[in-house]
Amino acid sequence: MIGLIIRRLMQLPIILFAIYTITFCLAWLIPGNPLQNPEGRQPPPEVQQAMLEQYKLDSPWRFYWDYLGKATGISWVLGAHDRPFDLGPSLTHQDWTVNEILAAGLPVSITLGLLAMLLACAIGLTAGVIGGVKPGSAADFATLLIALIGISLPSFIIGTVLLLVFGVWLKVVPIGGWGGVRYTILPAVTLALPFAAYIARLTRFGMIDEMSSDYVRTARAKGVPQRQVVLKHAMKNAFLPVLSYLGPAAAMAMTGSFVVEKVFAVPGIGTHFVNAVLSKDLTLIMGVVLVYSTMLILFNLVVDVLYRWVDPRIEMG
Amino acid sequence: MKILAPFVLILAALMTVVYLDDAPPRADVVFVDTAEVFTLDPQRMSWMQDFRMAYALYEGLVRWDNTDFSIEPAAATWTVSADRLVYTFIIRDDAKWSNGDPLTAHDFVYAWRRAILPDTAADYTAMFFAIAGAEAFFNWRAQQLEAFAEQKAELDPQARAKAAEALWRRTEQQFEQTVGLEAIDDHTLRVQLVRPTVYFLDLVAFGVFYPVHRPAVEGWALNDAITAQMRQHGWKRVDEPDFADREFANLNADTGRFEQKHGWTKPDRFVGNGPYVPTHWRYKRGLRLGRNPYYHSPDRVASDSIETISIDDINTAILAFESGRVDWLSDVSAEYQADMLAERAAYDLRYADRIESMLANGRTVDEALAALPPPESGERRNIHTFPTFGTDFYSFNCRAMLADGRPNPFADARVRRAFVMSVDKQIIVQRITRLNEPVSTTFIPRGSIPGYVSPEGLPYDPERAREELKAAGWVDRNGDGLIENAQGEPFPVIDLLYSTNTPRYKNISLALRDMWRRGLGVRVELRGKESKFFKDDLIQGNFMIGRGRWYGDYGDPTTFLDLFKTGDGNNDRGYSNPYVDGLLAQAADEPDPAKRMRLLEECERFLFDEEVPMLILCQLVQVYMYEPGKLTGLSHHPRLTQYLWQVKVVAP
Repeated sequence: MIGLIIRRLMQLPIILFAIYTITFCLAWLIPGNPLQNPEGRQPPPEVQQAMLEQYKLDSPWRFYWDYLGKATGISWVLGAHDRPFDLGPSLTHQDWTVNEILAAGLPVSITLGLLAMLLACAIGLTAGVIGGVKPGSAADFATLLIALIGISLPSFIIGTVLLLVFGVWLKVVPIGGWGGVRYTILPAVTLALPFAAYIARLTRFGMIDEMSSDYVRTARAKGVPQRQVVLKHAMKNAFLPVLSYLGPAAAMAMTGSFVVEKVFAVPGIGTHFVNAVLSKDLTLIMGVVLVYSTMLILFNLVVDVLYRWVDPRIEMG
Repeated sequence: MKILAPFVLILAALMTVVYLDDAPPRADVVFVDTAEVFTLDPQRMSWMQDFRMAYALYEGLVRWDNTDFSIEPAAATWTVSADRLVYTFIIRDDAKWSNGDPLTAHDFVYAWRRAILPDTAADYTAMFFAIAGAEAFFNWRAQQLEAFAEQKAELDPQARAKAAEALWRRTEQQFEQTVGLEAIDDHTLRVQLVRPTVYFLDLVAFGVFYPVHRPAVEGWALNDAITAQMRQHGWKRVDEPDFADREFANLNADTGRFEQKHGWTKPDRFVGNGPYVPTHWRYKRGLRLGRNPYYHSPDRVASDSIETISIDDINTAILAFESGRVDWLSDVSAEYQADMLAERAAYDLRYADRIESMLANGRTVDEALAALPPPESGERRNIHTFPTFGTDFYSFNCRAMLADGRPNPFADARVRRAFVMSVDKQIIVQRITRLNEPVSTTFIPRGSIPGYVSPEGLPYDPERAREELKAAGWVDRNGDGLIENAQGEPFPVIDLLYSTNTPRYKNISLALRDMWRRGLGVRVELRGKESKFFKDDLIQGNFMIGRGRWYGDYGDPTTFLDLFKTGDGNNDRGYSNPYVDGLLAQAADEPDPAKRMRLLEECERFLFDEEVPMLILCQLVQVYMYEPGKLTGLSHHPRLTQYLWQVKVVAP
């Protein structure tokens, strides 16, 4: 286990370097000038040149090495820069540094993502167990139907409907923004629904399998009550496929909430993935990608370790 | 149930995080602007929502009156010399910064120097070239920096840092000696202009000319003694700290540049001289303003606090407005806006007589609407359209050759006239955009500049359009419904470029394609691109006809007509005509305002009666949402420069 962790951690910088290089090449190839307001007036060419030089955008080579040094902290170690892990100023939001932007948005995205995952587990497991214990029953049919809706309806429709009902008609939640529990409920529910639906289906099939297996029959023969058979024996094993899904799902919930963030005006990171690219905000693109890749790699590592701890039969390279 | 324990723990931790991250109570006025505020540094601004903040957080020497846009004194009164070349501003004695320091003439010299320095690289640098010596100084500094960067390799780091500092001292001297900007004493600022720029005060009222507080901007390390001294006389009388003691400013030893960081715009470091100061600013959440305790005229300020919140999605913003969380939406660009406007039209129609009689009695539109019974279902009175100081148009590429080297048919003015006269603009604003914008034939919105008379422009006349094409040699010679030239070559397929950030331009482009195919017998291919890509193609002249839009910055025809100068940075059309260049140059040197206006009128007449480098569609409109009678203080003037300190929510 320790060997696994050490090996993965040693791979981290190499993977990150590759990601950095590929992202940089792609981002640099986006046409246009990030310092330019496409709808506004263009400053004289000398001023535009001065702007580019100021942000080292006049040469890809210069930007690439300069940014790499500052972002990793190597420049700081060498004494060429005053602080480590400096992701630079945002090129479009000039009053903010990328560090400030990430510090403001990451906690929000992580909180929202994790809350949504908890909700998804609670809803999905309950529905899956109810359906899986008695397949073909009315309860099973109802949960399947709800799961189908959860998977097929896009979040911007679910989100807008929820806002309309709870925000405009019932006036129980404020619309748009973040800060306090009342702002959190609707986006978390909207984000959770598709995951909950998927988890429900995974659990249902798992339960159907486990319920017809030998050890469940033995338990029943011994006279163990149904409640205990389901919760103590069958569910534990039915949970395994869900666990392996939770890793990537949690990562997705924390990164891929672009639509939910937009609909509910949540100040998270998801929107930067799209907006930074559209405005060719190089420092922000690189910063977001670097921080997120690091998080993803570490996250996958945690899930792998957990998985092996739960099920020691699994071998990992 | 052991398995539940970690989940409960995580949940508890998350709820604590959420609970601690609580939002402050609602501000007196809450609004959603077009986009996120980019910067609070007035010299770097170039977006509408940023300038709105400039007018709330700073105060310039003069200000536009918000109803008719005449100039009124703000932080200063002024006198003009007889030859209109020297302006003298007297700064009011009670003008103070938000930290209590006095506002002095040196603050303006510093802010304007900042804007002129190539080191700052401000979008609006060129506006300051109206000041004598400013352009020469800009070029001098740029050259010095270039030379510095070349010779630095020979020096060791320490010597380089010294050389950079020496160059900076020389630059400061050069500015003082050559630029016509002088603080005669703490309260008197004298400005010498290159030529009699009749609209100079209009420029001075523009946000980029607003002052900044040097010790705050540069992040000076201060002690109590210096602070007390600055309280008395401002920063000019204290010694400048070394660059090492300036948190937000330094000299780059490699490039010699004066580098500025932006940390000073955050609420805890900010110093301004306007009615408000920022009290909370959280990225992508909101920017809240509270009263500046040192503002000289607190009774002018209508609300104690005002907040702009970030809601990107217009549907959510409209829901937020409907729920009462937001008092004003400044840009309602939802796809169903036309349906909402139809509801407003239905309401207006039902009460047309009463509205008319109230307007005749001198009430404003908002007052009249507020006095009427509430709208029934299918009606609304909280959406409003205003014509703006901007024009929607399509550019013709006027270069002799296209980007791919083919000859350009639109280099011929006759072809351009034909394309303009075959477009029925009324259909476009009624059926395509459905906003009923005022259609237009001239670039400068008609009647928007006092003393300026717009020319006729070209009408919708398909018959004349075909004649123009015939005169240019394009006729259908083989009866296939498409036009050919004398050699029998068909008219090139037209490359029509538009941006895809809103559906508006796709829809208009489709309509134009049909009008030109039916009216002129030409084939048009649409090329929609995301706005950055679109702008890139436009700048490189890689298009035949391209979508465009322009808003004026100041109240003078040149804010529009300068686009047609040969080589102007915003001349996407590549248009060049010595007659136009000559008229603009002549107008720039003309001291008599009336004569100058006649020259500019002739310039626009020549451009839009004869040359038509653009197909002008309409005056742009802005769609606001607010409850009339509940929110007051918004200006309806086409410039739509809203002064936030005039805005107030009165009892509903």
